[in-house]
Amino acid sequence: MFGTVLTKSLRDQVRSFTGWSIGIVVLVVLMVALWPSVRDMPDLETFLANYPEGVKELFGIEAFGTGAGYLNAELFSLMLPAVFLVYSIGRGARLVAGDEQNGTLEVVLSTPVSRVRVLLETAGALVASVAALGGVLLIAALGGDLVTDMHVGVPALATGTLAMVLLGWEHGLLALAVGAATGRRGLAVGVAAGFALLSYILYVAATLVSSLSTWGPISPFHQALHSGPVGAGVPVGYVWMFLGGAVFLGASLPMFGRRDIATA
Amino acid sequence: MKEHHGYGAGDVSEAVIEATGLTKGYGATLALDSLDLEVPAGAVFGYLGPNGAGKTTTIRLLLGLLRPTSGQATIHGHDTWRERNEVHRRVGYLPGDFYGYAALTATQYLRYLARLRGRADVDWDVVEVLAKRFHLDLDRRIATLSHGNRQKVGLIQAFMHEPDLVVLDEPTSGLDPLMQNEFLALVREARDAGRTVVLSSHALDEVEAVADMVGILREGRLVVVDEVANLRSRARRRLDLTFEGSVPAAALRQVAGVRDLGVDGRTARLTVDGSLSELLELAAPFGIENVSSHETDLEDIFLAYYEDR
Repeated sequence: MFGTVLTKSLRDQVRSFTGWSIGIVVLVVLMVALWPSVRDMPDLETFLANYPEGVKELFGIEAFGTGAGYLNAELFSLMLPAVFLVYSIGRGARLVAGDEQNGTLEVVLSTPVSRVRVLLETAGALVASVAALGGVLLIAALGGDLVTDMHVGVPALATGTLAMVLLGWEHGLLALAVGAATGRRGLAVGVAAGFALLSYILYVAATLVSSLSTWGPISPFHQALHSGPVGAGVPVGYVWMFLGGAVFLGASLPMFGRRDIATA
Repeated sequence: MKEHHGYGAGDVSEAVIEATGLTKGYGATLALDSLDLEVPAGAVFGYLGPNGAGKTTTIRLLLGLLRPTSGQATIHGHDTWRERNEVHRRVGYLPGDFYGYAALTATQYLRYLARLRGRADVDWDVVEVLAKRFHLDLDRRIATLSHGNRQKVGLIQAFMHEPDLVVLDEPTSGLDPLMQNEFLALVREARDAGRTVVLSSHALDEVEAVADMVGILREGRLVVVDEVANLRSRARRRLDLTFEGSVPAAALRQVAGVRDLGVDGRTARLTVDGSLSELLELAAPFGIENVSSHETDLEDIFLAYYEDR
């Protein structure tokens, strides 16, 4: 049972959350299972040396022979960010704009619950579910770490997971904010996905092109992935991702309060 | 233009809804054009107009879902846009297109809304009594309910907290005739309990049984506000009278209010303004085989009003 917009929104995500959780666990198990054969490759060093410089840097290939480096290259540089982004953006766009477009928001907004509260509670549900997805990732990765000899350890996996959660929060809140400000779910997905794509391109460009390297730090992907993320400690850049999400949400609050609600 | 359409002159009862110059435009088109309206406490107000006339726009402005382009409306003195949370506390609302959460059962959905309103404000017994009256199985998921049954869920959520004001946009849509009667009974009970009910419809016949007063909207403008009895007496109805013998056309033409008489075999097609009694009295001796009446057309009511002015 549920009594608030927050708990109702959490409940709405159970099915999708379960599916993505299973996906993450399968992904982690697969990659961990491959680790022993990668570690034991006799000519790993020569093989890795042949990668172009840019790719080496983007995926942390230099450290591929270590457990943390392997996880960064195989999971935390592309696969997991993609999973967290797809989940967060999809949920964020659905929470307000989706309910508006399918007509269910109309009655909820005719109750004494204010629009500000509706938006804040749905944001809370989004933040919580992305964090929970991070929890699933952390447990899966810790399990993998325990049954193999990757020796990554809890702190390194925790910071790697935190980077994924922060990426998810920032982009999910952006999708929620655009959806709340405009009532259009497709636009919310488009803007958040476009933002992620631009941010990724900037990250890649700043890594490959030295004249652009000063611009790299403004990219959320740079902030999340630049120095790891597994085993990077907690870089200052993480704060920017958190603030970014908060700013998007904050900006959308008055816009949601002042606009017309659309009919389904 | 600024004159208020009220419920009789010198009305002392408090107006629950007051709209002044309420206007909503989308680009160059005005969905609602400077509406001035007062709905007194305890009245059942029928809000009539063809589809697209601006009924839903008005209702959604009253619920604070739309922001007025100009003008304002208050409910119990609270501005419907700036103080919408205050308004929402005392209003029950059924949208014209009602959608509940398909994945929830009716019980889960109604309990959710009840908690959003504050537990103390909803007596669950009221929900169960209403569900029984409307023969609604509360344990079924909303996704599996027929259109009519979903509409019942919508009606229950609008009435369950026993609000001072119930605003219903096309409430009888999808209800079978039996349930429509049950609904009308519910509206009467609400009025008897001192509540105010606004219900919109595109047909006079749907609301005349319960409405005390009626407003007719046409292309965004409120053209008529009147008591139902007055409206009825001026209403223009189209009748087909089939006689046993030939049509007494000359006699029919003599009746006050009869116009546009056409004869088709033994059937007279005609239009009558106001009361039918004189016409039927005169026609009866000629032996009437069948009378069929067409739904009162709102256009005809407008015309009757305009021609009288």
